[in-house]
Parts: sequence; structure tokens; C-alpha cells
Amino acid sequence: MLSRRDFVRGGVALVSIGTTANSLLKGTIAFAAQHPNEVAARGNGKILILVQLAGGNDGLNTVVPIGDSTYHSVRKAIGFKDEEILPLESGLGLAPQLTGLKGLWDGGKLALVRGVGYPNQNYSHFKSMAIWQAGDPDLKLQNGWLGRTLDQMESQSHDPFLGFNIGASTPPELRAGKVSIPSVESVADYGFQKAGTITDTISDPRTATLMKLYEQYPAQSPYGVLLETTAESAVSSAKLLSQVAGTYKPAVAYPKTSFAAGLSVLAEAIVGDLGMRVGHITLGGFDTHARETADHARLMTELDQGLTAFYEDLASHGKADDVMVLTWSEFGRRVQENANGGTDHGSASVMFVLGNGVKKGLYGDQPSLTKLVDNGNLSFTTDFRSVYATVIDNWLGVPSAALFGQQWPSLGFVAA
Amino acid sequence: MKAAAAAPQDTMHEQPPELRRDLLHRRTTRRALLGGAAGVAALGGAAAVAGIAYQSGGTPKQAATGSADQGGTLAPAEAPPDPDRPIDDPKRRAAHLLRRAGFGGTLAQIEEFSTLSREDAADRLLNYATVDNSALDAKVAALAIDLNQPRPADLMRWWLTRMVYTARPLEERMTLFWHGLLTSQVSKIGPQRAKLMVRQNELFRSMALPKYDDLIKAVSKDPAMLIYLDTIESVKAHPNENYARELMELFTLGVGNYSEQDIRESARAFTGWRITPPRKTGNKEQDIANWDPRFFVDPRQHDTGSKTFLGKTGNWGGDDVVDVIMQQPAAGRFIARRLFTKFANVEPSDQTIASLVQVWETSNHDVRALVRTILTSDEFYSERSYRAFVRSPVEFMVNAMRGLELEPDLRRRINDQTVQGMNQILFEPPNVAGWPGGAAWLSSSTFFARANFLDQLLFGRAKIPPPVPALATATTVEEMVDRALAIFLDRNVSDSARQAIADHAGTIVNPAERAATVAYLVLGSPEYQLI
Repeated sequence: MLSRRDFVRGGVALVSIGTTANSLLKGTIAFAAQHPNEVAARGNGKILILVQLAGGNDGLNTVVPIGDSTYHSVRKAIGFKDEEILPLESGLGLAPQLTGLKGLWDGGKLALVRGVGYPNQNYSHFKSMAIWQAGDPDLKLQNGWLGRTLDQMESQSHDPFLGFNIGASTPPELRAGKVSIPSVESVADYGFQKAGTITDTISDPRTATLMKLYEQYPAQSPYGVLLETTAESAVSSAKLLSQVAGTYKPAVAYPKTSFAAGLSVLAEAIVGDLGMRVGHITLGGFDTHARETADHARLMTELDQGLTAFYEDLASHGKADDVMVLTWSEFGRRVQENANGGTDHGSASVMFVLGNGVKKGLYGDQPSLTKLVDNGNLSFTTDFRSVYATVIDNWLGVPSAALFGQQWPSLGFVAA
Repeated sequence: MKAAAAAPQDTMHEQPPELRRDLLHRRTTRRALLGGAAGVAALGGAAAVAGIAYQSGGTPKQAATGSADQGGTLAPAEAPPDPDRPIDDPKRRAAHLLRRAGFGGTLAQIEEFSTLSREDAADRLLNYATVDNSALDAKVAALAIDLNQPRPADLMRWWLTRMVYTARPLEERMTLFWHGLLTSQVSKIGPQRAKLMVRQNELFRSMALPKYDDLIKAVSKDPAMLIYLDTIESVKAHPNENYARELMELFTLGVGNYSEQDIRESARAFTGWRITPPRKTGNKEQDIANWDPRFFVDPRQHDTGSKTFLGKTGNWGGDDVVDVIMQQPAAGRFIARRLFTKFANVEPSDQTIASLVQVWETSNHDVRALVRTILTSDEFYSERSYRAFVRSPVEFMVNAMRGLELEPDLRRRINDQTVQGMNQILFEPPNVAGWPGGAAWLSSSTFFARANFLDQLLFGRAKIPPPVPALATATTVEEMVDRALAIFLDRNVSDSARQAIADHAGTIVNPAERAATVAYLVLGSPEYQLI
């Protein structure tokens, strides 16, 4: 039941405040010393990496029907030729750029969930994203679906890196009641600088004074939780990350994209056993209203090469059994392409699940291209909360029913 | 909406109202964090195991908090004060207004505004048209940025310079408000055409306090907006829905006040909307520099047929669509809420919104009237509104430079990467919904970026930091700390925070280094992260 945060708060009352940053870190060390089992066990926890494909990924041009005359008639300009598509099974294949993922499919490491959506699809990016991030089409549940999951884990054990985000701001699905999530935009800039170089946070008196201001900030004041936990999370996570940075070496050459660079930071946290259970990264640019062919091909390549390198790096470090990657997007695109060589906002889309713990296969029914709803959109076949519940129950090992207000059926893509 | 660039920081966010509601919830969760008597009870044992030498002491305040926690009870005992009580101190009121309606004041400006009535103070900010701004013009000229061929990196420096040196702070404030609401991203416009973002910015400045209908009609025809939301590609046979959707969802009505059918119908009204292309002489760069794009309607691609939109049928064009939208009751509620939650606080009562909607109707959709009503209201000057927002990076930077009366050379002193690390790049909002604001501004990553911005701004790379004019006249450490607190925090901090800053500043002998350190700590404090 003891979280390190409770511990630190208690400790602050008793420890001399002379060096505040010091006391925060002392709290971490002391917690570790008192709970060796929890800390030692952290490397064994299963890890979920959530990849957001922001903007609405065209699922129909990601997992593509082969030899389907309806597909060819609605996608005259931007459709793939049958022979370009990388065949999987059941008349479906992957977009031609996804060669790495095709290899992982062949190796039994990939599952696909088809027709994923929710009742009364909302066609606004922001509303639909909020629905996916909350895990609730009514937007009544508090915090994000992964934040609620992490709150459950926090009560079992604590690490500053329980959740970890690549980017500058905490994504809504990671908003939690009890856990503060470190966000790293650039490892090189992650720390207090003096004259352009990162300083040792503990020994510098200016930094120690600044941290003291955060620790003393009165509890009842506005944004008290946010300000203090953000500062604390920053200092403790920077310390751990810098320790790991010296030991982690990527086993593969990651592509030179910011997406791949972010994945390598996640790999660093995993290989370094920082206790991460949930990682988050975003690949943006999927809102392909015009000139989709070029943009989508670039994005598919970036996704494919990044995830493939990430998987290979983890496998080389002996971590591929512990990590599952899940992709999502707020919606798919309209079935009929538009006049600008693009597609407008649509409904159901497809999700990738990648890792050694995956039971290879196609999950969820393939939506019909002829029985459309809402003026030309796919009718969803699989509720996104079933995907979430499968991951939370069967992979992360946290009971999901309380997090969604009901038990969603497992889809079975996590290997027993 | 615009396809965000493929960078991890380009996450998209839900709309601000949800975010802020969630934030309010978070503000109440501290007790959950602090609770857990079990955790504290285990402390003694942990300390022993860890072998850490705990000393007695600590400040009385912490000791008190600690013992309350240890007993498992929740501090503090006093009843929560009424959040709607007025801000009493005239200087605190003045500083609050100058921060919200501008980018913060100097000590002299705070002093001056503290003597004015609410109405006089608001009018002084609102009636800026006759205020001489020639000092700003000189500063802008000194930047030597060619606004006809700007590099994207110059755009932010240009606008920040305007914000720091303007004598018309509300004008820049509103320009920023419109940029965050009626968004465009330079990355989609394209670096060669970055001048169109300047032009859009100047449109917002020239119509900073408009009749809202007029601004929406103007921005619908703005070249950057026409490119950003794909209107210039929309053809009669296949209308592009992007602009029609965001016009209603994000600019005027909000989700739930129109149907998907309304989007399809109104998209037809914007078909064929075009801008004149650059003249082609063979020198592309020069052609763009000479380009003065004009809006026109291409009759071959404009759908003149009958459209049924929000229950009204007619051969609507784009301006007609805006007129129909502005007659919706949802439009007044939407803009009233957006303005109130930007200027005052995020919890307007239904009654507050209703009274603003009445101003909207009687003033014939006048934004100036709405802003004046808000800036003179009891709600604006209540404790509920004080420090009610997380400061945006722009507010963080500009207030610092104005308050310290610095002469910053943004090009030399500040690392672009550090500014970007704070996560607000002007002319490049994350997506069409603009910056989500609120709690999203603060993460471990942006926390470091803010501190490191201050290090670069105040200390630079030289051995001795550059002078801080606003603090230079202080003769003692205490006076210097007090001055900085008066400029930025209305002297409204705990005694222990004031003492901690003074204690550290007292160890620094060099006056320039001491001033820079005091400024660093005050601007890095938790209180300054709020506005």
C-alpha cells in the first residue's frame, strides 16, 4: 500500500530541509531499501507501449483487401494494386511499405484487430480522441484509461517511471490520480542547465533552492499537486535516466526520424530496468484530406521502420518477451476517396499488436465495404474497450472491469 | 484539419473545456496523495533500514504538516475561504489585470493602474488605437527581418518582440487569442510562403476587437486559412469538408450544435474559393516576395445550388453560411465562454454566460463589448480568477522580459531548442484546435525547459551575467527580493519561500549575479508558473 510518494511526503517532515532535491532522491533510495522485493521485481513486469497514430489513420489503406472490386472502385486514385499488397491471410494484406511488420507477422509476432470503433462514432478529431483516451464514449470516467490502470499499479509498487511519455506534454490517456508521468522530449535537454550544460542537480545550491520552493508550495494553493509532483518527477526521473544512459547501447541502427528516436528512448528505459510498465509515443500527420498517397506512404514507412528497429533492439537485449506494442488512431477514413486524392474523416480502423507475447492472427470481423453506415462509413465490428480490456487483463495483469465500469470480453490476442 | 508534422511533440489534444474540468478535479486530489497514514507510519523503519541520518528540525510549517499526516488526519483545520470573495489589495488587482489583459506590468505600471477604477483601467487597455507605438516600431525595425520573405524561425522572434515592447498590450493579447482559436500552422502553409502567416497575424491585429461575424468572414478568405484547411482545393463535384467542419466545431458553435449533414451542405458554399497565384517570372523566390494574393470565387468550381443548412434553405455562399451560424444561440454561448475562460477563470456559472450572451446580442456580436464586460466584472476580480491558469510559455517569457525591463537579444541569448522545449511555438500550434493549455503546459520536460530558458535569458554564457535593470537599484538582498516579488508575484508568497530566495541570494557577492539569481528563483517559482 505504501507508495514512495507517501514516503517522501512523510520523510520531508522529518528530514532537514537543507537540500530539498536531495531529500526527494533520498526518498527514492530509502523506499528501495525498505522494499527490495518490489524494486527487484520491477524488471519482470510486462510492459505496454502505446503508439498513437494521430489524425485518423486510413485503416483501409493500412490493412487492405486483395482482389476486392469494391475496394478498387472506391479507391481509384489512392488504392493499391492487388500485386503491391503484402499478403497476410483471408484475402487481406498490408500496405506495401509495411515490409518489416510483414516479416514480424511471418514470424508470429503480430496480431491485427479489425473494425475497431464504438457506437455513435464521433467524427471530430478531438472528441473522438478524447473518447479513446478516456476509454469511455460518454466521457464520464475520470482520467485516462492508462492513467487509471497505473493508479492500480501504483498501489502495488512505485517507480518514478511507472508511466513514461515521449513528448513535451502528458497525453490524456496517461492522466492519473496518483501517478506523475515523466515526459521526455529530448534526453540531451532533460535536466537543469547552467551555462548550457546539465548540472548535477543535487550539489548545485541554486537548483536546491528552486526545488525547495516547490516542496514548500502550500498544499491548498492552486495547482498544488501538479506543480509539486511535476518538479519531483522531473528531478527523480532525470537522475535515473542519466544513470541508464551510460549503460544502454542500441543494438540496431534506428532510422533517423523523431519517431524512431523516441522509440530508442523507450528502449533505453526498458533495457535499463527503470520500472516502466506503460510507455507512450505519438506519430502524427494521418489527417490525409489531400494527396494521401505520398503522405501515407511516408507515414507507413516511418511507422514500419521505427517499430521494426524497436522490436529488434529489444529482442537483442532479451526484452522482447516483456514488451507489447499497441497502435491506435481516433478513427479511420471515409471509404470513398475524395476529389483531392485524399480521404475525409471516417469510422472504424485497424490496430496493430506487436511482440513475443502476441498470439498471431486477425481479430475482430472485417467490416463490409458494401454495407456502409453514416453516409459512406464502415460499420464497426469490435469495441475498442475490448482491445483495452484484453491488454489490461491479460498482459498487464490488472483487473479491467473496475476501470471501465463493466467487463469487456477478451479478444484473445495475448498468448496464454 | 491540418496534418501534424511527424514529431512526437505533435500530440493532439481534446478541447480545452474537458481538459480544464479534469484539471479542476486534479486540484482536489492532493489529499489523496498526502493521505496514507500507513505510509508515514512505516517511515521510521524505512529510515533505519536505509541508514539515512535523519536530523530533527525543518521549518515549523513542515513539521506541522508532517505531524498532521502522521496522525492520519487531513490538514489544515481552517474552513476553506470563499473563492468568490473579491481580491482586496489594489496592487494585486492591478497586476492581475495587467497579466491577463496584457503580458504583465513593470512596477511603475502596476502602481499606476492600482489607482484607477475598474472601468478606467479596462478602458485604458481597450482604447489603444490612439496609443503611440513608435518605440515598438523602432525595435521591430532593428530586428531586420524581411516580413515579405521571412524564415519560419524569424516569425516567433518578430512576434515576441512585439509583445515585449508594445505600448498596446491588449492588442497583442487579442492577436494571440485569435491565433490560438482561428489557427493555422506555418508547416502546412510551407516555409516559402511563411509571409502568409504574417499576413494572417496582421489581420488578427487589425481586427483584434471585432464584430465576430466580420472576423470570421475575413479569416475564411485569409490566404493562410484557405490553404491550411484545404478550401482552395475544394471543387464543386467533391466539396472538401475540412473548413466547414472546423468552422462550426472549433471557431463558432462547438460539437453538438450541428449535424454531419450541416457540414456537407455548408462545405458546398465554400467550393471554388481561391487566391490569386504568384506571377511567374522564373525567379521563384522573387515571385513569392512580390506576391500579394487576392481572394476570389472561381465560378466554375463554386456550387451555386440550393443548400439546406442549420434548418435554413437558400443558395448560400460562404458569407451567408457565416450569417446563419451567427444567428444560432450556440454562437453567442461559444464565444462568450471562450473569452471568459481565457481571461477570467475556467468555471463560469450559467448565469455568467447568460449575461455575456445578452451583451453579445445587444452589442450585435461585438467582441470589444464582451471583453470589457469580462475585464470589469466581479468574477474577473475574484479570488477564483487569481492564479487560476497555468502560464503559457509565451506568457512566461514575455512577462519576464517586460517585468525585468530587459533588452533581450532573442537571437543571441536564447536557444531556439529551449523555447521549443517549453512546447509553444508561435505560428505552429499543435493542431487546428490550438494549444490545449492548462495542465498540458506542465510536464517534467517543460519544467526543465522553463528553468533552462531562465538560465539562458538571465545568465547567458558570459562569466558575469548581463544586468537586470528592474532590480539594479536595490541596495540590500532583502530589497532586491522584495522588488522581484512585487513585480511578478504581487508579494503574494509564503514567508518561507521569500526567506529561501533571500538566503541563497545572500551567499552571492557579485551584484549582477545576485540579481540574475533572484530573478531566476522568482521566475522559476511555482507561483510564477501560474497566471
